[in-house]
Amino acid sequence: MLNTLISGLQIVLTPSTFILIFAGTVVGVIFGAMPGVSASMAVALALPFAYPMNGVVAIAFLCSVYCASITGGGITAILFKIPGTPSSAPTTFDGYPMAQRGEAGKALGFSLVASAVGGLIAAFCMAIVSEPLAAVALKFGPGELFAVAFLGLSVLTCLDNGNLIKTILSGLLGLFLATIGMDPQTGVARFTWGNTTLLSGVEMIPVMIGLFAVTEVLKQTAKRDKKDDKGSSMDGVDYKTAIPSAKEFWAVKWVMLRSSLLGTIVGILPGAGATIASFLSYTVEKKISKHADQFGTGIADGIVASEAANNAATGGAMVPLLALGIPGGNAAAIMMSALVLKGVQMGPLLVKNQPDYLSSVFGSMLITNIIMVFVSLAIAKVFAKILAIPYSILGPVIIMLATIGSYALKNGTGDVVLMMFAGIVGYLFVKLGYSAAALVLGLVLGIMCEENLRRAYQIGAGSWNEAIFTKPIAMVLLLVCAAMLLFPIIKPLLSKKKADK
Amino acid sequence: MTLDLIFSAVLLVFSIYCFFFIGAADNGTATELGAAAWPRVILGLMIVLLAVGIVNMIRKKDGKLPVSAEGCKAFLHSKLLLGMVICAVTAIILPYIGFIPTSFLFLIAYGVLLGEKRPQMLVITGVVATLVLYIIFQGPLSIFLPRGFGFFRSFALTMESLIGMIPGL
Repeated sequence: MLNTLISGLQIVLTPSTFILIFAGTVVGVIFGAMPGVSASMAVALALPFAYPMNGVVAIAFLCSVYCASITGGGITAILFKIPGTPSSAPTTFDGYPMAQRGEAGKALGFSLVASAVGGLIAAFCMAIVSEPLAAVALKFGPGELFAVAFLGLSVLTCLDNGNLIKTILSGLLGLFLATIGMDPQTGVARFTWGNTTLLSGVEMIPVMIGLFAVTEVLKQTAKRDKKDDKGSSMDGVDYKTAIPSAKEFWAVKWVMLRSSLLGTIVGILPGAGATIASFLSYTVEKKISKHADQFGTGIADGIVASEAANNAATGGAMVPLLALGIPGGNAAAIMMSALVLKGVQMGPLLVKNQPDYLSSVFGSMLITNIIMVFVSLAIAKVFAKILAIPYSILGPVIIMLATIGSYALKNGTGDVVLMMFAGIVGYLFVKLGYSAAALVLGLVLGIMCEENLRRAYQIGAGSWNEAIFTKPIAMVLLLVCAAMLLFPIIKPLLSKKKADK
Repeated sequence: MTLDLIFSAVLLVFSIYCFFFIGAADNGTATELGAAAWPRVILGLMIVLLAVGIVNMIRKKDGKLPVSAEGCKAFLHSKLLLGMVICAVTAIILPYIGFIPTSFLFLIAYGVLLGEKRPQMLVITGVVATLVLYIIFQGPLSIFLPRGFGFFRSFALTMESLIGMIPGL
């Protein structure tokens, strides 16, 4: 561990490497803050710069872009309700209401520090337990991964906003949307009605941008209608850029620690990634919090839970990449391709024969997460000032930014139509008491859930026992899911029984 | 009658239709779940929950947004509907007239809708915001924004060559 730390710092504190990591951090934060530029896209955009570097420096540079872009995604989630990256979606639940109260600086402060702490804890976890944890992750077959995805779905009951049936229906609608397009296993077209655009499926990012950003602008438009052109509550608010005090940070220390550890563990599982980590962590904190009713109204715990977990997942994702040569997610896959291009032999022997790679990633994550706080604060202060612009100017610019974010995904205007449609439906959702967050969660987890369930069934030769029920890890996870799903239904019944006695 | 009830009923009919429609893709075997299995589980649950929701709404009469002639009239004259129309039109015309004209027109139209009354401010914002977004995304991020057709395409190509002259972009 100490050797890895010393060797890692020796690599990343070389002036040229340090400058590259600093540049990677700045670029990553800016890319992450731009809607539609996901973490994997940020790494892909940085890839050409990594070609001339040697392998060890290249992975340190790409790692800094990856970590910083996940953090940058939280900036626009808090200020404009546009999640820069999908993993920042839960940050909007509490970050945006806090910014609306005029406490944008505080919300950003919590987000950035939680991200840094999450990243640092994940870096240490990665260095200490890289090999043993990767071995455990290998035990996760399709049955176990289905249970992990299902555990993510049980979060639905926590996103309940007063009507459990409507929340579950929203989640199911998200799962249904994820089935549209070509079936990845058999190549059969599902619910496309002959439309070739639908063959590639319903993209998550335009739906998410539409549901969060466009719906918000439409809500403000409707508010202005009622106020008869007198301006909305968003105009003229004094947006303070003051960051939280040390006492306020200390108050959320356990949330930060729990979320960082949970994020690291989820990040290690191949295919799970930062998005599931942030949703899961938000839910867990909501479940165990003493003030669960305040979640969603703009409290620090919600922001910290989401941001610490999604950044910790970046460290977790590096574990299977370095220890086994299995990329944990899209961004890790792009990094792996860069290393393969450089002739690096990925696999279990990499850490043993060339420990420089593990040290380099470790050092880069340490330095990036520290620099990131200062870089992000400077960038966020500029972004926070944008909120002082009258909403009649800012609102349309937000929609144009969202339009580009959706278009950039596949360079196609079909996703722009999808985003606008999602925005309009999202408004109806809000008015009728459905949950947009639950729909997004269903859409995110749908493919992972179905693919692993079908694969497990196939491996079990058509037996559910072989596929899931005889797997201890899967069963424990499914029992936890059942408890989480049934708790909100049983709780009122038990209270009623108690009251009757 | 409430909008909530109408929405649930439409969703129920759609779910039932999809439940049977996917049947055409049912290619499962004894050892393999077909393409229809997972969607049918989801749609089946949706049908049950929607039916329960509708029964609850009718029994308790608690559906949201009552539909009345006055409410419909107010919605037809609302800024909200106009906002939705502007968004929809923007998405439709974007591939035909390209990014720059669409963004400029959208920023002005939606700015007016949100109550901005100073024409100079609207035009300046329209031009500056469009150019800033265009230069950032078309330049360093290499995202080729829609060019449009005919005259608009020539205009977009001219703009691209102008941006190409800026050192470093």
